Amino acid sequence: MRLATVTAFLALLFVPASAQNLVSGLSQDSIRITSNYTGTEIVVFGAVEGPQENTKAAPRDVIVVVRGPDADMTVRRKVRVAGIWINRDAMHFTGLPSYYYLTSTRPASAIALRATLQHYQIGLSYLQPTTESTHMPSKAEPFRQAAIRERENAHLYTERGDGVEFLSYSLFRARIPMPATAPAGHYSVEVYLLRNGTMLGANITPLYVKQIGLERGLFNFAHKQPFWYGIFTVLMAGLIGWGSSMVFRQA
Amino acid sequence: MEIYLPVAEMSVYWLAVLAIGAVVGFISGMFGVSGGFLLTPVLIFYGIPSPVAVATTASHMTASSMAGAIAQWKKSAIDFKMAGVMLIGGFVGTWLGVWLFALMRRTGQTEIIVSAGYVVLLGTIGGLMLNESLRAIRAAQTGKLVSGHGPHQHNWIHRLPLKVRFRQSRLYISVIPPILLGFAVGILSAILGVGGGFMLVPAMIYLLRMPTNVVIGTSLAQILCVTAVTTVLQSVQNYTVDIMLALFLILGGVIGAQLGTRIGARLRGEVLRLLFAVVILSLGAILLWGLVVTPRDTYTLALGGP
Repeated sequence: MRLATVTAFLALLFVPASAQNLVSGLSQDSIRITSNYTGTEIVVFGAVEGPQENTKAAPRDVIVVVRGPDADMTVRRKVRVAGIWINRDAMHFTGLPSYYYLTSTRPASAIALRATLQHYQIGLSYLQPTTESTHMPSKAEPFRQAAIRERENAHLYTERGDGVEFLSYSLFRARIPMPATAPAGHYSVEVYLLRNGTMLGANITPLYVKQIGLERGLFNFAHKQPFWYGIFTVLMAGLIGWGSSMVFRQA
Repeated sequence: MEIYLPVAEMSVYWLAVLAIGAVVGFISGMFGVSGGFLLTPVLIFYGIPSPVAVATTASHMTASSMAGAIAQWKKSAIDFKMAGVMLIGGFVGTWLGVWLFALMRRTGQTEIIVSAGYVVLLGTIGGLMLNESLRAIRAAQTGKLVSGHGPHQHNWIHRLPLKVRFRQSRLYISVIPPILLGFAVGILSAILGVGGGFMLVPAMIYLLRMPTNVVIGTSLAQILCVTAVTTVLQSVQNYTVDIMLALFLILGGVIGAQLGTRIGARLRGEVLRLLFAVVILSLGAILLWGLVVTPRDTYTLALGGP
């Protein structure tokens, strides 16, 4: 389990004892990538149990965060040299999720204080990657922002403040899109319950995105036996080429 | 309908991939080239990551050169000895090229080197062909014969040591030029994902002075081996060959190539070369534009560590 998740989880042990009970679940606990996979949607649902009132004075909020497995990322900055744009500076980040989707009852910045959000890494601005210690934070910041911007453009990072809806007094639901470009791996779905900016409870549910069948076989083949995979590809190419010359000669 | 590419980890429209393969196959059949120099940039435009595009193109060329080589072999138009000698250089070049490609990926300059390499290559070849075909067309209109390059009997190549007799090419030359030629094409094949036929053919005619009837077959046999080795080496070194992508590109490619060959046979040679030069130059211009235009975002992100 990743550090961020562990920290967030440990932190919940210190949530005030007056915590209202929060239960949540997923429409499916795994996503299977097959040959015609084009992305899917998961539904996160849950209920807030116990005495509660959703008043203007003490608003009750739910935040849902889906995090993909961590990915190593390299951000490069282009500069113009002799009229041509070439990559100059590079920064390597570890500890950024490969997929991040945040949705909540209201924009996260209106729900809780900056310190709380930062603590739980709720929100794109609070995703903190690790980078080489030699770099000054001020130098790394534009690269971090660029990484997040690029991931947002690729629909792999999203933060929206209106996706969690209360269906009744206690039931809530959120739809999370999972694009085909979201990589396979172990995801976590975090559900936070807050009132008046105070963390009252949280749940973490694992979600597995996995290639199955042919796709998994080919991926493993390519990575575990790359030599034979290459030979196999060449044989396939050669056979089709040979076959085509036979077929079209007859025609 | 879309298909999921297991290595590129993305989904693509299979019809679009089939169509790309067919169009490139059509052009390669029409002009008698392996088409790698077209396929790689087109795949990158389509959104395939460039390492996967370069590596997978090699397998596409394996299929198309296989089909071509068989046809030439039946006409006994392959100088196997010459192909073998060029392959010695070819394998070393390919190995070095794949290694260089891995190095380029680490420094983060892959896109720029690949694009710049293409601009230079396409610009040079396209410019030469355009010039040559326009002169040929003008000459045909005025009714004059073009005075081509006269075969000077002895150039510098004939003074090199290690001479060997190539029976089928009716040549007695040093093995050094074919080895160097194979070496250069091997590097290009691995770095740019090209077969190199458009370089090999003129070099074999004008530098080695091989008879035209064995040039195409021999270059196809050489390209077949080099691209096959490139496919395996890219799989091992960079894990970037996507077999699903390859399958659809190849299926489209072999169909397109057959149509292209038939239509190409009906067009006049110089018109064909003029069209080809225009295709090449436009592609080079598009890539050059991509290098000089101010990018929307000067920061780019790539997955993976240093």
